[in-house]
Amino acid sequence: MCSYIILEKRQVMKMLRFEIKKVFCTFKNKMAVVLLLVILVAVSMLTMNRVEYTDSEGNHISGMLGARSLRAEKKKWKGEITEDVLEAVVRENEAINNSPEALSDDIAEQDKAYAKKQGISGIAELINNAYSEWRDYNYFAIDNVSAKEAKRVYERRVSNLKTYLESGEETFTDSEKNYLIRQYEDLHTPFYYDYTDGWSALLQNISTFILVLALIIGFLVSGIFSSEFQTKADAIFFSAKLGRSRAVLSKMGAGFLITTVFYIIFMLLYTLVVLAALGTDGANCPIQMDMWRSVYNITFLQAYLLIVAGGYVGTLFAATLSMLASAMTRSTATAIIVPFIVLCAFPFLSRVITLPGICSFFPDQLLEIYITLKDFVLVELGGKVVNVIAVIIPIYALACLLLEPILYRVYKKAQVS
Amino acid sequence: MELKFEDLTKKFAGFTAVDHINLVMTNGVYGLLGVNGAGKTTLMRMLCTLLEPSSGTITYNGNNIFKMDSEYRKRLGYLPQEFGFYPEFTVKDYLLYIAAIKGIRSTVARKRVRELIAKVGLSKAADRKMKKLSGGMKRRAGVAQAMLNNPEILVLDEPTAGLDPNERIRFRNLISELSEERLVLLSTHIVSDIEYIANEIWLMKDGTIMHKGTADEIINSMPENVWQCFVEKGMVSEYMKRYKISNMKAEPQGVELRIISLEKPSEDARRIEASLEDVFLYYFGEKAGDEDAAV
Ligand SMILES: Nc1ncnc2c1ncn2[C@@H]1O[C@H](COP(=O)(O)OP(=O)(O)O)[C@@H](O)[C@H]1O
Ligand SMILES: [Mg+2]
Repeated sequence: MCSYIILEKRQVMKMLRFEIKKVFCTFKNKMAVVLLLVILVAVSMLTMNRVEYTDSEGNHISGMLGARSLRAEKKKWKGEITEDVLEAVVRENEAINNSPEALSDDIAEQDKAYAKKQGISGIAELINNAYSEWRDYNYFAIDNVSAKEAKRVYERRVSNLKTYLESGEETFTDSEKNYLIRQYEDLHTPFYYDYTDGWSALLQNISTFILVLALIIGFLVSGIFSSEFQTKADAIFFSAKLGRSRAVLSKMGAGFLITTVFYIIFMLLYTLVVLAALGTDGANCPIQMDMWRSVYNITFLQAYLLIVAGGYVGTLFAATLSMLASAMTRSTATAIIVPFIVLCAFPFLSRVITLPGICSFFPDQLLEIYITLKDFVLVELGGKVVNVIAVIIPIYALACLLLEPILYRVYKKAQVS
Repeated sequence: MELKFEDLTKKFAGFTAVDHINLVMTNGVYGLLGVNGAGKTTLMRMLCTLLEPSSGTITYNGNNIFKMDSEYRKRLGYLPQEFGFYPEFTVKDYLLYIAAIKGIRSTVARKRVRELIAKVGLSKAADRKMKKLSGGMKRRAGVAQAMLNNPEILVLDEPTAGLDPNERIRFRNLISELSEERLVLLSTHIVSDIEYIANEIWLMKDGTIMHKGTADEIINSMPENVWQCFVEKGMVSEYMKRYKISNMKAEPQGVELRIISLEKPSEDARRIEASLEDVFLYYFGEKAGDEDAAV
């Protein structure tokens, strides 16, 4: 019995291997992989160049070298951002503002002054946020903040929210308002200051990369089911003993494996390349350092994991729909279009017609978690308010699961005439 | 073993491709003979569980083959009329893949693939990509895949179509070699393909089996006679209008005609023995197969 199971397993593995081979031996799919590698390099470079540093001479340096210097500057201020630190930052800012370089009319000189502010820039941003209008970030707010006022940064975060909620400019229900305030109050303070620019840059470009990855993975799996018909191999396939059972499962397995392995490998490559160049520091700092108003009380690392998880579910959903279209229409071309519709046409649609409620549930949102993290997108479920990410990830994961038996049945019952 | 078609019918959007067919098959070679569009492929696809009948049943030893599912398909080998493959696969990989979806264990499969590659004469091309094979080689790879599971039921849809005369002869020999101890259903529109190897011939037209039996029985079923006569060149078109001409041979003194007719077409006409080709012409109103079918 046991050896029988082992034999069966070996056989499924064998079929799976051949299915994967079928996918990667076609020219267009080989090209797609090459394209993906090129895009990986391009996006990684763009991301690396997001980190900029101005040296004491006023020269701008971006990328790996810039990151190294910026990191060193910020490390000088590393630690909890207590009231004392906030006060010290305001003082430091004032001192720099009053330096001869800052007061000079020469732009090069001003750049030198700016260079000195880079170490405190993260903390200065918090103060700017706390003293800016709700949706109107003021770069110079800190210049008009007194040392005493600076201490109230964390308090201001909550009180600003309350003012906004009371202004009547928004449409939240009472329970949603309570939820927002609770989340704000629950946020752990003081924040821990560290160089977080590596993570920050990584997250800023990650959605674009996930979208490209999802589309290319959709492209790779789009032919798994339709190619049997298009190459006219269908008659032999479906008249084989396992052609309407395990051979179908092995196709589904191949689709799932390709999706998952590609996603993991390319996500890892992107992450490793970017973080190796820009630094992994600050993984445990709160994302509010980057996204002041976020209701998600999580760290950079957690935000990254959430974005990657959402991206995976979105990619899997698009790939599964593509395979379903491939099995149903028997046309690879149609199947290729499906991920584009799912991931690109929906956001376009939501711009054309305003369906604010529904739009946040569209599958493209799974790839836009970075943006969602910044926004207040809430859902009331059974009287309980939850954020939209907590809803869409499980919903689409479940949808993928439910599509599998449909895909199996559609293909298993195919008629070949 | 017994395979049985009962009232088997397949309709495509109102068009009946297979029309209430009732037949029984046991071991042996069955030749399904009919012109293009007769419904041969449709019938075979139903036999291979690729198409569900609109009505009627196919049973294997009394069990519906569609209910038997893989239990039935494991006994089946099928060479489709036009078949595709995975162009980037080598012959060996292709056969190993088909062996896998036929549920043949890896160790057995490897041995079987090696044997069959030798048997169909593809040893030298075993590592060549499928897309690089000639038409005849592809067909041989097709036969090899059909034979992988040593099928009880072997279905060959026009296996010789499009092959050159030499290849056709080799193919015919291969098929008759493979036909032992199993049920073979072979379709063709070329009489000579099955004239000698089929134990039973079915003449199919417009979705129905109009005649079945051994070659002799089918020949005897023709109610008209076959005549041979010489006519002057100028008379040929006159004869063609009046009679079914199954063959024509130009000779110095005139044209030798082979005529199918109940009555003697001319004074000097000589009655000769009918062949399967004559019968085909008689029933289908067109010549059997293409020119090189004569080999
Ligand atoms: N999928 C289909 N849809 C509509 N008509 C079809 C289909 N398949 C076959 N036919 C028709 O059924 C008839 C029989 O076709 P086929 O079984 O291929 O005949 P044969 O193999 O004897 O040439 C033809 O007229 C063909 O056009
Ligand atoms: Mg046909």
